[in-house]
Amino acid sequence: VTLQTATARRIYVAGVGIVSPLGHGLAETIESIRKNRTGLRPLTLFATGKNRGGPVGEIQGRLENPSIPRTHQLACIAAEQAMARCRYSPDAVVLGTTTGGMAATEEYLKIKERDSTYYRYHSLGSVAEVVASRVRCPGPVITVSTACSSGAVAIKVAMAMLRTGRMTRILAGGADSLCRLTYYGFGALQLIDPQGARPLDQDRQGMSVAEGAAMLLLTTDGAEDALAEILGAGWSCDAYHPAAPDPQGTGALAAMQRAIEDAGISVSQVDYVNLHGTGTVDNDLSEARAVNRLFRDKKPLVSSVKGAFGHSLGASGAIEAVVSAICISEHLVAANTGCRHPDPALELNPVAEPLKASISMVLSNSFGFGGNNASLLIGTANTFTPSVAKVGDGAMRVKGSACFTGAGDAQATLLFLSRGKSCKGRLSDGEICKGLSPAETRRLKRLPRMALSLALAAYEDSGSKVVPLSVFLGTGWGALSETDSFLDRLFQSGERLSSPTDFVGSVHNAPACQVAIRFKATGANITTTGGDYSFEQAVMVAGLTAVDETGPVLVMGVDEGHGELSALFDLSVLPGDVLSDGGGALCLIRGGNNSGFGMDCIFFQNTKNNPDIIPSLIDGLGGPESVNERYGALLAGIPGGFREKGEEQLRSFMTLSGFTNPVIDYRRFTGEFAAASAVAAVMAVRLAQKGVIPGPLFGGKDFDLQGRGVLILGLGEFITAVGVAQ
Amino acid sequence: MEKLLSELKVKIIEILNLANVYPEDIDENDQLIGGKLGLDSIDLLEMVMMVEKDYGITINNKELGEKVFASLKALAMHIEQHASAGSQ
Repeated sequence: VTLQTATARRIYVAGVGIVSPLGHGLAETIESIRKNRTGLRPLTLFATGKNRGGPVGEIQGRLENPSIPRTHQLACIAAEQAMARCRYSPDAVVLGTTTGGMAATEEYLKIKERDSTYYRYHSLGSVAEVVASRVRCPGPVITVSTACSSGAVAIKVAMAMLRTGRMTRILAGGADSLCRLTYYGFGALQLIDPQGARPLDQDRQGMSVAEGAAMLLLTTDGAEDALAEILGAGWSCDAYHPAAPDPQGTGALAAMQRAIEDAGISVSQVDYVNLHGTGTVDNDLSEARAVNRLFRDKKPLVSSVKGAFGHSLGASGAIEAVVSAICISEHLVAANTGCRHPDPALELNPVAEPLKASISMVLSNSFGFGGNNASLLIGTANTFTPSVAKVGDGAMRVKGSACFTGAGDAQATLLFLSRGKSCKGRLSDGEICKGLSPAETRRLKRLPRMALSLALAAYEDSGSKVVPLSVFLGTGWGALSETDSFLDRLFQSGERLSSPTDFVGSVHNAPACQVAIRFKATGANITTTGGDYSFEQAVMVAGLTAVDETGPVLVMGVDEGHGELSALFDLSVLPGDVLSDGGGALCLIRGGNNSGFGMDCIFFQNTKNNPDIIPSLIDGLGGPESVNERYGALLAGIPGGFREKGEEQLRSFMTLSGFTNPVIDYRRFTGEFAAASAVAAVMAVRLAQKGVIPGPLFGGKDFDLQGRGVLILGLGEFITAVGVAQ
Repeated sequence: MEKLLSELKVKIIEILNLANVYPEDIDENDQLIGGKLGLDSIDLLEMVMMVEKDYGITINNKELGEKVFASLKALAMHIEQHASAGSQ
């Protein structure tokens, strides 16, 4: 339970890739910024039933590889540019996205395509996986989805990984393509400016949705010709409203302050703020208040580039990190395109024309739905003293846990398991909503309801009087009911009607946001996603980044089984199977006394380009002896879609580690759903606390753990290890 | 007008999933958003969609929305004034 005070490490931007409505690659982007071009034009990508007006930021020209969805193509283009001059594969890929394969998925759902092979690239996680495969990354592949701050959040996660010193280079960024869901969704929220985004203008009426991707090769390995350095990053949650920002900008201010603190610099050193500046009335006002609260006397230069690039959602944070790097390396401040008459109420003077100026430190803001805020500090390389930031290392202690399966809550699930009975199925809505008020659930469908219930139950189980400030939630597929309901209504009405409630609920970070609002949790609020390994990603990111927490941290995994969509998207879910879902939540604490079991994501690697992954796993666990001494049982997660491969991996692990203690193939009990590993984590905690593995679970006699812990292995496309031990 | 008001009450309860609220609980003169029912801007926009779907009336900006949805009565009056002939 240690917090390592890291050796101060510089994090260089050694390469960048960018594709946006303003061009492909760095040179075209710089040229566009210099000429103050705008990339906003009428939408041509798909026909709209009734044009809700407003130009968009659509990338011109045909992309080359129609075998993968548009977001994936954009991400690959940016990744290849970023890696062009690098001889090595990155140690990890961290990517932020909100739409994943949605642009393709909606085309197929529209024609009621029922062949699941068409939806192979639907998941948000598949974007980073395709990128990882292109750049031959054998390490962790992490996807964050915190709405419009995703790209910036990805860079912060990569920073935390680099600061441990265990990795040298990480490819991080964001990507999103235009699609109906976001186009009509923002339309339904009346957040689109029919004239195109005019951030900070007194007549602004909203944003312009856009698409794009940017990837940054971040490295601690002394890059001599680095474009810039990432000096610090901060995040926060408004815990205020699912879609509207806190009017006072308190969350935005906290994110900026945390970035400044993280970098160990003073406010007055910031030369320029690249605003989130979407052009909506509320965002610009709230952000301006935050900026004015932070910079009291000497205001830095400010501008938003969303009148030129549009708002590319999950990509925007990464695109603007590149714009910030350009600002530093080219001494070029981008104009606040589209703003003619700055709104006096904002008390800001946006940069009107592209400006030649020597800038050495940029603060770049990205805020999203759910009040998910992130700020990055980017500076001239080798100029500022690198920050001695704290790095999360080792396990956090488990103080409380809760789960749902088809059998019921944690107690019911454990009872079923101790008798060797199946927990497959979906718990009734009544059971899930026990303890939630109708006012609180009226706009929520299955996934956020489960998340809220689980969070409350884990917190209650912890007995803590201090409420959690940070929430890390992994979900493989997000809110399927909301997504289905939104698209169904859209297509039924000939693309005329779209529900704002369903749109707001459909974003992957909506459940974590509901949890934050309930607890007023204004710390980190991070949603990770990557199929069957989404929960493990949440454990990993929490372990790395929850370093300043004095209270408990919620780490959870949850997925809903959806009658139509689960079998189309998740290749482990077969139409004839018992549709199952659920999840698990853990209330963890850093520091304090060392009582209770600890939980830690010890290993996370990609099986692709990684022939020695099983020996690496055993090494990562401290060698065969350590595995057997530390763990009295193994919970093996073998997703149905990778049965053969997973069983082979398990055999290989058993042989090489000499592990002879009970092994539980837990999906045989829980059924198939991405967050089954979160249920396994709760099982592991509860079994370790009891000290006995019930015989019927593994087909033997009751097994005494003798104080040892339980290891949870994720197998299949990735191999992960989460340890629960003293 | 009375018929339209009753109809709107039922619709609102249904589309906004207002559990334990009955048509007789809604006073047509009460403030609709930010009032007793606990409705916010997203609910307002959900009602915008309903008005477009069921009455063929588009409410496409915030200022108009705030006026139209000031109270249930204001909404009913707006619908009566703007409903095209032949629609329900």
